[in-house]
Amino acid sequence: MTHEYTPLQATAAATDYQREWARSLRAQITSGEQYAFVNADTPHELFHHIGLPIVTNQWWSAIIAAKQLSEYYFDYMEAAGFHERLARYSSLPLIAELEGDKSRQPWGGLPTPSILCARQSADDHQKIFSLWAEITGAPLALISSPAVPSPQSDWWRLAREDWESLYHTDRLDLMVAEFEALIAQLEDLTGRRFDHEGFAHYMDRINLQERIYEEASELIARAPRCPIRISEQIPNVMIPQWHRGSDWAVAHATRFRDEVAARINSGVSVVENERIRMMWIGAGLWFDTSFYSAFEQSHGAVFAWSMYLPFASDGYIRESRGGPLRALAARVSAMNEQLHQPPWINSWMVEQARRYRIDVALMLIPEHDRFSGHGSLFAKQALEEAGVRVIEVWSDMVDPRQWNRDGMLARIVPELDAVLTEKRLT
Amino acid sequence: MSERRPDNGAGAAATLESAFEQRDSWCAAADRPLVGIFGNGMPENLIAAAGAVPVHLSMGNAVAEHEITSVIEPFVDDEVRTFLVRLMCGELAAYRGIVFARDDAPAMIAYQYATEWIRQDRKRAATPSLFLWNLVHTDSAPVRRFNSIQAGKLFDFLEATGLVRPDEASLKSASVEEIRRSRALHAMAGAVSGSTAFRWRNAGRFMGAGEHADLLEAGLAQNSDSHPAGLRIGLVGSPLASAPTYAMLEAFGQVVCDLQPLGSVWPGPGNLAASLEDVLARTAADSSCPRISPATAYRAAMVARLVEARCELVVCQLAQTDDTFGWEVPRLFDELKAQGIACVNLGFRDAAPPRAWVDEAASKIVKALEACS
Repeated sequence: MTHEYTPLQATAAATDYQREWARSLRAQITSGEQYAFVNADTPHELFHHIGLPIVTNQWWSAIIAAKQLSEYYFDYMEAAGFHERLARYSSLPLIAELEGDKSRQPWGGLPTPSILCARQSADDHQKIFSLWAEITGAPLALISSPAVPSPQSDWWRLAREDWESLYHTDRLDLMVAEFEALIAQLEDLTGRRFDHEGFAHYMDRINLQERIYEEASELIARAPRCPIRISEQIPNVMIPQWHRGSDWAVAHATRFRDEVAARINSGVSVVENERIRMMWIGAGLWFDTSFYSAFEQSHGAVFAWSMYLPFASDGYIRESRGGPLRALAARVSAMNEQLHQPPWINSWMVEQARRYRIDVALMLIPEHDRFSGHGSLFAKQALEEAGVRVIEVWSDMVDPRQWNRDGMLARIVPELDAVLTEKRLT
Repeated sequence: MSERRPDNGAGAAATLESAFEQRDSWCAAADRPLVGIFGNGMPENLIAAAGAVPVHLSMGNAVAEHEITSVIEPFVDDEVRTFLVRLMCGELAAYRGIVFARDDAPAMIAYQYATEWIRQDRKRAATPSLFLWNLVHTDSAPVRRFNSIQAGKLFDFLEATGLVRPDEASLKSASVEEIRRSRALHAMAGAVSGSTAFRWRNAGRFMGAGEHADLLEAGLAQNSDSHPAGLRIGLVGSPLASAPTYAMLEAFGQVVCDLQPLGSVWPGPGNLAASLEDVLARTAADSSCPRISPATAYRAAMVARLVEARCELVVCQLAQTDDTFGWEVPRLFDELKAQGIACVNLGFRDAAPPRAWVDEAASKIVKALEACS
């Protein structure tokens, strides 16, 4: 008898909320309300707290890809003179904007943002956002990104309390100063005052939300069998993450955690006979999310881990210690780098693989989004030394043109067969 | 050494050519300590003021192999791969230290991979101390404070390697040499071909500014190089160190405005300043840095220089790993074409493009020019 997977109620609640939020936001911004278009690794908290709605570049990119529009836009991109090796995940919304036919886009496209914001973590981010600024006339706020010269490998142990020494005082001083300049810009733009006292409370609420996700992550990691698919983990974490610190986001995190706990307590799992536990390393495969469940029936193999849930705690919890703006700088100042640069990524992957009892890792390596791909082989070797079998997936998060699902299945199946043999489960 | 200190112009030209060909190997016999640099954006005069010869390490060639290549993804820039192999094989052990320019993307990766390999204590020969030069490329009071702190960290690093901590006098002295070099580099315009100018300019990456200035002055005094007739050509795109490609370009005219990262954007403007404050301010304002803020300054400066140089043809070429300059190309070409300048994108090429690519590139230029006529 085939085991039927039942989705969480929280998943529908999250997607319903986001759909309604998107509808409301679309109504607001198409009627002339201001909004900001921002990259994922920028200080969303400043925009939220002053009451300026944001659309996140990578979220919008995933929406366009999920609507199966990316192939059309990437063909257009090359016809417009941009070569095929430029980053795609972070540029898809720009390409849709350059293409110009708003009726083709989700929501009928986005109106001109009131402000753009990007962090200079990768060189091409500022190029992409600068082009946005040129074609829309919107001002661009660039947050600088000097590197951490001596990154400590166990960053997640230090980042919550000891972030001053982890990220370095000079970098945090600079970022706080840039935040203060951005706040002044947002105050001018909105005509509203940034409530510094209320911001401390807001930051505490975000920490609370991320601690709830930490509990959910621990529950999933320790459960005898994985209780939910990562295709459900992701929206239940990332939708509230775009609204972090709000009453709804904290409540939803609680609901998600509690539903996961209830599932575990009642013995519900993704597959009844779980034999292989896998991790999906990298951003989501947004145009083919059903791929995550492709090996459940054939091998009892379940994707138990994706970065979004555990990163909620390790990447976001930063104790304010009386300086909420500085704590925000600590959260933002290496946010993306921790997921892509050695030694941060390799050390964290090994820690997470151990915690989640991972057998096999599928590692997404987007060769044309180099910032996301660098450090992959360091991480691969570290995982292999820790006893995890690693399969490289050379593909892109939003571009299906080079994705060969059948070919990938043919590569993975023998590896899973080998794991079953090793575990004497055949 | 007579080879290094030629007493006539022909000898100077030969020495410059030899230094360019040998890359960083050329300076092995230098009589001062060596400090390596990886990437554009590090003001060499700060190292010279510490009593060392600043030597660029991103143009070398690797003959050995090393297992560090097992962690280098195929999309990592060739110069990073080469550098890491050489570093781990011990070829750079004689350097007091190596400074990496954070705002040069390949340098950032080179630093990260090198430090991680060393942190893991994996198999390698002796390696010098490594330093990351963080400098933010914009102008504000917090940025000026930040950049000043970075200079202090650099000086601490140089001191720790046994060099002298730069001070007001040594910085001023270093700037005098840099100003002399700058004058000599400017004097090449119109006096030698773009191809020769490229080689002679980059020879200076492997010697002190004063020595470079001496050689350029002597070489120019006896110069018999004939600069090609034909179109005034601008060159943009990825770092290019291919003599055959320059020769091909100059079959169509003269490269009069070389704005690729190994072209006339080096040495950076900070080198000419006599005070630390000015060095940092001018370096931070260098519009040739792809990370300059405001971001529009990069292309605006490029267009202005190509127009000022009265270019008739602008040629773009890209490394196989380009993920940045490609964002500029459509708008750059639109803006140049609006000024009546013909543009051609030669597309991707290897670090040392084979003859077939060079021939194909020439055909593309011919076609582009025919389309314009």
